[in-house]
Order: sequence, then C-alpha cells, then structure tokens
Amino acid sequence: METDREIVCIVCPNGCRMKVYIDDRNRVVRVENALCRNGGTYAKKEVQSPERSLTSTVKVTGGALPLVSVRSSKPIPRDKIREAAALLRSLHIQAPVDFHQVLLSDILGTGADIIATRQVLKA
Amino acid sequence: MLINKDLIIIGAGPAGLAAAIEAVKRGIRDVLVLEREPVAGGILNQCIHDGFGLIRFDEALTGPEYAKRFTDEAAEMGIEIITDVMVQEISRDKEVTAISPGGITIYRAKAVILAMGCRERTRGAIGIPGTRPAGVFTAGVAQNLVNIRNVMIGRNIVILGSGDIGLIMARRLTLEGANVLAVIEKLPYSSGLQRNITQCLEDYGIPLLLSHTVTRVEGRERVTAVTVSKVDEKGNTLRGTSEKYKCDTLILSVGLIPENEIALNSGMDMDNTTGGARVDEKLETSIPGVFACGNVLQVHDLADHVSSEGELAAVSAADYIKNYCHKAGESSDTGENCLCSGNDRKIPVTAGSGIRYVLPQAIRPGQAITFSMRVTVPGREKSVLFKSGEKVIKKRKYTALNPAEMLRIELSSKELENISGLEVCIDGN
Amino acid sequence: MAVNVDNTFDIVIIGAGAVGCAVARELSRFDLKIAVLEKESDVAAGTSGRNSAVVHAGFNNKPGSLMARLCVEGNEGFEQVCAELDVPCKKTGKLIVAFDETDFPGIDKLMENGRKNGVKGLEFVDAQVVRRLEPHVGGIGAMLSPNTAITSPFIYTVALAENACENGVKFFFETQVNGITRQDKLFRLTAGKRHFYSRYVVNSAGLYSDRIASLAGEKGYKIYPCRGEYFILDKRTSQYLSMPVYPVPRPGIGGLGVHLTPTVDGNMLIGPSAEYIKSKSDYSATSSVMEQLFKEAKELLPPLEMKHIIRSYTGIRSKLVGPKTGGFGDFIIEESKAVPGLVNLIGIESPGLTSSVPIGRMVRDIISNKEDLVAKRDFITGRKGITPFRELALEQKEKLIKEFPEYGEIICRCEGITKKEIVEAINNPLGVTTLAGIKYRARPMMGRCQGGYCLTRIVDILKEQKGLEPQQVTLRGSNSRLFTGRVK
Repeated sequence: METDREIVCIVCPNGCRMKVYIDDRNRVVRVENALCRNGGTYAKKEVQSPERSLTSTVKVTGGALPLVSVRSSKPIPRDKIREAAALLRSLHIQAPVDFHQVLLSDILGTGADIIATRQVLKA
Repeated sequence: MLINKDLIIIGAGPAGLAAAIEAVKRGIRDVLVLEREPVAGGILNQCIHDGFGLIRFDEALTGPEYAKRFTDEAAEMGIEIITDVMVQEISRDKEVTAISPGGITIYRAKAVILAMGCRERTRGAIGIPGTRPAGVFTAGVAQNLVNIRNVMIGRNIVILGSGDIGLIMARRLTLEGANVLAVIEKLPYSSGLQRNITQCLEDYGIPLLLSHTVTRVEGRERVTAVTVSKVDEKGNTLRGTSEKYKCDTLILSVGLIPENEIALNSGMDMDNTTGGARVDEKLETSIPGVFACGNVLQVHDLADHVSSEGELAAVSAADYIKNYCHKAGESSDTGENCLCSGNDRKIPVTAGSGIRYVLPQAIRPGQAITFSMRVTVPGREKSVLFKSGEKVIKKRKYTALNPAEMLRIELSSKELENISGLEVCIDGN
Repeated sequence: MAVNVDNTFDIVIIGAGAVGCAVARELSRFDLKIAVLEKESDVAAGTSGRNSAVVHAGFNNKPGSLMARLCVEGNEGFEQVCAELDVPCKKTGKLIVAFDETDFPGIDKLMENGRKNGVKGLEFVDAQVVRRLEPHVGGIGAMLSPNTAITSPFIYTVALAENACENGVKFFFETQVNGITRQDKLFRLTAGKRHFYSRYVVNSAGLYSDRIASLAGEKGYKIYPCRGEYFILDKRTSQYLSMPVYPVPRPGIGGLGVHLTPTVDGNMLIGPSAEYIKSKSDYSATSSVMEQLFKEAKELLPPLEMKHIIRSYTGIRSKLVGPKTGGFGDFIIEESKAVPGLVNLIGIESPGLTSSVPIGRMVRDIISNKEDLVAKRDFITGRKGITPFRELALEQKEKLIKEFPEYGEIICRCEGITKKEIVEAINNPLGVTTLAGIKYRARPMMGRCQGGYCLTRIVDILKEQKGLEPQQVTLRGSNSRLFTGRVK
C-alpha cells in the first residue's frame, strides 16, 4: 500500500514542498512538486536515512580568536548530530589552525571529518 | 589627509567584496574598500552554518568559506582593503570621511559604492511591555557572542520572531546545550526560509508558535519569564490565551533594517519601505556616482544575490568612472558637471497590490533589467504581473509565494519597450 | 572632629540619587567624613535617572511651598553648577500650550503662580508666536517660560558624586540599609553583614525614604509610588521640537501631563504617564499606557510616527499624597524631632532634580545650626567629564586621535562613541563597571541599534580593562548577569 507525506526539501533555499509517495517497504515511489532532481534524491534519503551537515565551533587555545568555526566534511546521520556536537564541546585545538584543517577524523564512525572553515592565527 | 580614489567601496562583506573584484575586472584600478571590522567578510564570519553559495558556486558553503572565496580572489588581484576604519560621512560631491586610530582621512572618489549591510530591529522599536532586565538579545548579537567570542548567553531560551537568524540560533544554542523552549511568530506564517524551519526547529522538536507574540517580559535583574499570547489577524492579543514561559533569555529575531546612517545624512532619496536608497536599474542613488548594493539597499535572504547585486553596482560604477574621466576630465573637482548619468528620463516603477516593494524604483528602458521584490502575504498558485498602464507586459506564475523569499524577475529590453510606467502586482492565476 | 575608623563617619547619606549626591557634594566642602550608601549598583538608579530631564522654572508649585522656593532657587543656579561640573545643560525655554479656550484659565493660574513664586520672564504668547517657536505644534496660545532648561540627570548626578568623591566622600554601592539603631552617641547602620557608624544620617532614599525613617525610629511617613512611562525617540525627530512642550495641567493628576521634551543629546522623550502602583520596584511598561502615550504625543506633535521610537523606560515618583488626594504634596526637609541627628528628605518628587543643590544647602544649614562646620581649604570645585568626541570640530578630533589613538576607534556606530570614551567610562572614579553604568556615562548602546553593534565590543573592552570574564559582566550589578559563561 502506498502512503504519501509532505517533505520540505532543504537542499537549496527554494525549499520545495514535495509530495512524496512511499510504498509499504519504506521506498520512495514518486516525488511531486520538486523544482529539480536534487529534490527526489533528498526525499529518498530523508525517508530512509536522513542526514544533516553539522556546523559548530571548536575551542582554540593560544589563538587570535577563542573559537574556530567547523563543519562536517559530509552530511552525517541526523540522529548523530546532537552527540557529535556534544563531542565537539570537549575538543580543543592549539593555534594556528589552517583553513580546512582536519580537527577530528571520522567523527562517531560516520566517515565524516570535522574540518575548520576558517583560519585562526596565533595570538 | 585628503586622498583621491577612482572608486571607494564602503563595506567588505559579500556585496562590497564582489563589487571590488568586479570593478577591477572592468578595468578600474584605483579601488579602495573600507571595512570597520578587523577582518574582511562582514557578517559572514559569524554565520558558521552552511547553505551559502548554492546558486553561485553550486555548493553548500558555510559563511566563512563563502567569504574566503572572495577575500582570496581580492587578495590575488591586489585589491586594497583597509580594515578597522569607520566611514562617518559621505558628501554630495563624494567626499568620504573615514576615521581610524591612524587619524581622519578624507577620500575624494569619482564613484562610491555603498555596501554597509544591515542591522537588527530591536525590542524598543517594537515595544514589548514589561521590565528591562539583562538577558534580552537580538539574534545577530547572540550569534556573534556564541560563534565568535565564545560567550554563552543563556540556558532556557525563548525566541521571538522566526526570521532566519532566529531559526539558525535556535539550532545553534540547542547544539551548545541550551534549552530552546519555543520560537514565537506574530504572523500566521514564518518570516524565515522553510528549509530552516525543517532543519533548525523540526529536527530538534522546537515548537514554532505562529500567530503568537511575547506580551510581557518579567524579571528585575535577569529575565525570569516571558508571557506569550495568541494574536488575531490584526495583531491584537487575544484575551485568555496567555501562557507564561519560565526562561532566562529572550532572543529577538524581528527583522533587519539597512544600515543606512551615512546614506541618510548625505541627503540622498530613501525608500520608506525598503529602508534603503532609491535606485535606478544601474543601482545608482539620487546622488550621481553613488551606488548601493546588498543589504544596505534591500534586505536579502541569500548571500548569493547580495554578491551579484554588488557586481551590478560595480559594472555601473565602472561605466560611470570611465564616462566621468572622458567627459569631465581628471581636473574637475566634482562630478556635479558630469552629465553622464542621472539626466535621462526615468520611468517610475511602483509596487501594486500584493507587492511590498520592488527594486529598482525607476528605470531607463533599453536593456534587460532584473527586478527584485517581495510579496506582502504568502500565497499559492499566484502570478506576478508587470503592467504598463492596463497592459500586462509580463506574467510569471508561482506555485507558492512567501514574503520571506525575495523574487527576482528579469525583463528583456524588448518587453520593456514603449512603456510609460511600470507597476508590479499579484494576481490569482 | 573627624573620626578615623574605616566604617565610622560623621555623616552617612542614604541614597545616591541627585539629591543624595548634591547633599554629599555640598557637605564635602567641609571637614567631615562622609559616606553615601546606595542599594543599587550606581548613582541615579532610581527616580533621578528616570524622568523628563527638565530643569523647572518653578511656576507649577504652590506659592509659599518649599517646592516653589527651592525650585526657583535651583533653576537660577543650575547653569552655574553644570558649568562647574561639566554637565550638559541647555536653556531651551518651555511652552505650556492651550489647545482650546478652556485651557486659558489654567494658563492664567500658572502665570499667577509663577509671579507669586518669583519666576522671571513668563509671558503669554499667541498662536502665531507658538507657530514660530514650534512650527509642528498646534495650539491657540501658550505660556512661554524662558528659563526652563534641559539637562542630563544621570550625568548631573554622576558629576555631583564624582566631585564629592574627589573631595573625600566614600560611596558604597549594592549596600542596602536594613537596620538603624543607636549605639552610644552614634547611629549604627546595618547593610547585610556590614555595619556603618555615624553621627548624622541623611535620609535621601527617595521612594524608600519612609522605610528608612521608620528603620531609624520615626514612623508615620508613607510614600505612594506613582509610575510614569516614557518613550525615547530617534534623533531624527529633533527637527520637530526645540523646547519642552506641555499641555495645560489638568487638576487631580499626579504629574504634569504627557509632554514632549527634547534631550540634551538630541533625542525626544514622550511621557510620562501617571499611575499609582503598589510596588516601589515595579518598573514594568504596560501596553495600555504605551498606546495611550503615543496617541497623546501625536496629538501634541502630529509628525511623530511609531517607527521613531527607539525604546521605552519608566520612572516612579515618590509621592507623599496618595491617589485619593491627588496633586502634589510638599518636600519634607528637616531634622527628625523623634530621632535627633536624622535629617529627613522625604517626598522629593518633581522638581527634586532642579531643587537638589538648594536642598543640599538646606541640609548643610540644618547641621551647621547644631555645630560649627569647618570649610576645607583644598575643596575642589570643578570636575571634568568625558569629552564627547563626536561634537568636536575636525581639527580637534585629529589632534585628539594623534594624542590618544583610541579616539580613532568608533565603538558605538549610532552615537559615534569612541573607545577612549568607553575606556574612561569603565574607569570612572566611582568604580562602577556595570553595562548600564558605561552606557549612561558615555552613551554607547543609546542609539538606534541599542547595542546591536557595540555590545560585543564593550564586552571585549571590559575584559581588556578590568579583566572581567563574561559571567562577571552585569547590566546593573548583583544578579543582573548578562551571560552565563563560556560556550566551550
């Protein structure tokens, strides 16, 4: 039996409100109201194993700034976001920090690295 | 100190940097960018979330990464950016007065691009009753404190206003261990992007209360509670709907206003609705040779559009400077005698029913022009109409319209041929 | 005569409002050991910092009253005090506007009152003159009071306190007196775990002056708190108004009616309302009053718009007359008969600010009638405030930046306040490091964006100057913490 569900696409700011039809084995059968193909891909992911990018900060010691902004190198499972963010709260790094420097590899076994999104020079 | 420059750009955020790069590409060599912060990048530096650059770079960059694309390019091109300097005044003959610990400098420019960005509306401007304790912040200030300065602002938080920064901060503060109790929105729809409601609120189970507002702030020293009440369509609070939220912090995300103190004092024509200058299709203000772009012109929802607007301003400024040299000559003191722009007949562009504002406010036909606008209320299955008198010269259909999302529609020079005026309005399909 | 123990004084003044600080400054001319005890974290934290900032001429008050006499005397000397202490003061004049003929008897009464009180220069002006003076205000005629002035009550109080401090007066903030007993010939004042001893106590506790009198043993006074709400408008509105404009007072209300007042900084105030309330500490603004205020202000000055409002504040009048009586009482300025050595200053509401210096002199006389006061030879008359960089000419600005590069760093963009000014405010002589203290001394965060741009920078400067960690920064002392600490 097919069910349908509204999913708002978060890939881009268009924010398409898609109508997603799902079969009884939790597979996406059809996607309506998506402006581009990314919508369909996102909808499948969102139904089966939703993922999000993590953006946060990491404490820097001896730097020109007290924090460096970071992100995950690729999206990680949505249900690991909180745990990953909590993990970053206990991490700190010595300045200098390079742009896109890897600060933590394979966070929570997700295969994603935590990388700096800016440079922080020594104080 | 008096220094001559071809082009002065005020602000090194996404608009100013894009403008500087484009101006140099267009052959303007003597470009100077003035920035009040210690580093270039503007507000992007504190916007550590992703979603920038999807249009321009086809990638979801974070704010700092998006900024770096521009600062790197500017550095490669050798563009001069002075930081830690505050522009205090711009005169009608394009003298820019700037102050820094090094002293006061007056720059005399052939053209000026305003790219100062925007600031936040505050509590006073919207008048919430109650006490005035510590613990009330605007969302952007909270964002700066939390993301840049490593200062935590509270534990139990209510957010008033569902603007994008408010939504983003709801997630940000949750991930840093705070308890965000609710996001309160006075309107029956959110003023933020739908994707942010999904990934910042719904993912974390943070309730979004539409048609509600904060009707009272309590606490003598620090906020101890806020009262939240339901409002009707006119914004009047409904009796008997009040609920008290115990909290220590109230964050306001109740709108942005162009940061236009300098423009206001220069005496240029302003638009009461956008809060920015009135411009033509070249983004030129009522002062010839002064152009405006980015959030100082109109508050955008996407940095990508801010940058492209910066580029358009730079193209116009470059043309202006080239014509200026040609016509008025280097020896002329001011651009006052220069007739290279501003004197052609302009056709006014007005916002009709369903449209809050449309930019540019006046145009000279003869080229393709991109109009940006916002609708007044959300709608489904509607069209945007461009009319000259009663004649519809363009119709664009939309499945969904939202005041949170700026519309950008290009009209070809052919479509703009022979028009006497231009009105933009909303029509059912 | 002076005693030399750290917590023992000749005179303890309770309350660091305009009156308490004026008393402190006046007494600091003499060889006396003086302390000011203030329950809040700064001077002018109560009614003194929350009013219309008008230096009244004295025509409103009942002939023969202390209020009338001290107000006229205070007005005459106000500019001189401000000049000595580097306080902004602007003699704008003031209009009491008649909107229809029923207002004329009220104006006649004020003229008559003014004449009896010795107020100089009052005149009736016709509609034409009103239009010339204030083109945006309607009205069919008005009384013009040329000697009414505007000032900055906060800077005024700070200046009095700083001058007193320089002349040896000790200020104790967050020191709430909750017990007064006699011990031998001294008063023993308890504030939390601390004790102070003194020969005299000056009760200038404003709203709480009834409580302090009672603690000292003199029961029977009752202060009725009467709240007034205000709006502060954007500087853009200064084009609409050059002097305070009041309606003709209607009988029975506890104030002077909603009026419009330009400020010395170029903003405009709307207010105050007048509403008797139960709690003396309830500074809440209410939606009904806020709406009414704006409506009445717009009637006085039609070009006003809601978007001009940048914030609201409230003040509370300390009235000796309750809601049933209405109107005004008179100041009580006397040594208590029941408790010798206790000088009561009770019911000091408007025109208390204007009268503050003469009140100080009255307190001096009360004490000098009991003992000889010895004038200090080295009394310092003047005090220098923070230089408002934004108001200087270009050449002066350049010179100052060369000397102090921190003048070249604009921290508050709206008000054009430099880092040097903020550093001076943080290092003020009274040792106040609260955010409100910095705000009212140097004016950052007072503009359109209300700190949106500069709050984060001020947090940095507080750390740089005083080593304050985020969790130590307060808005107004004690538990008014701005931040909970570090994110990580």
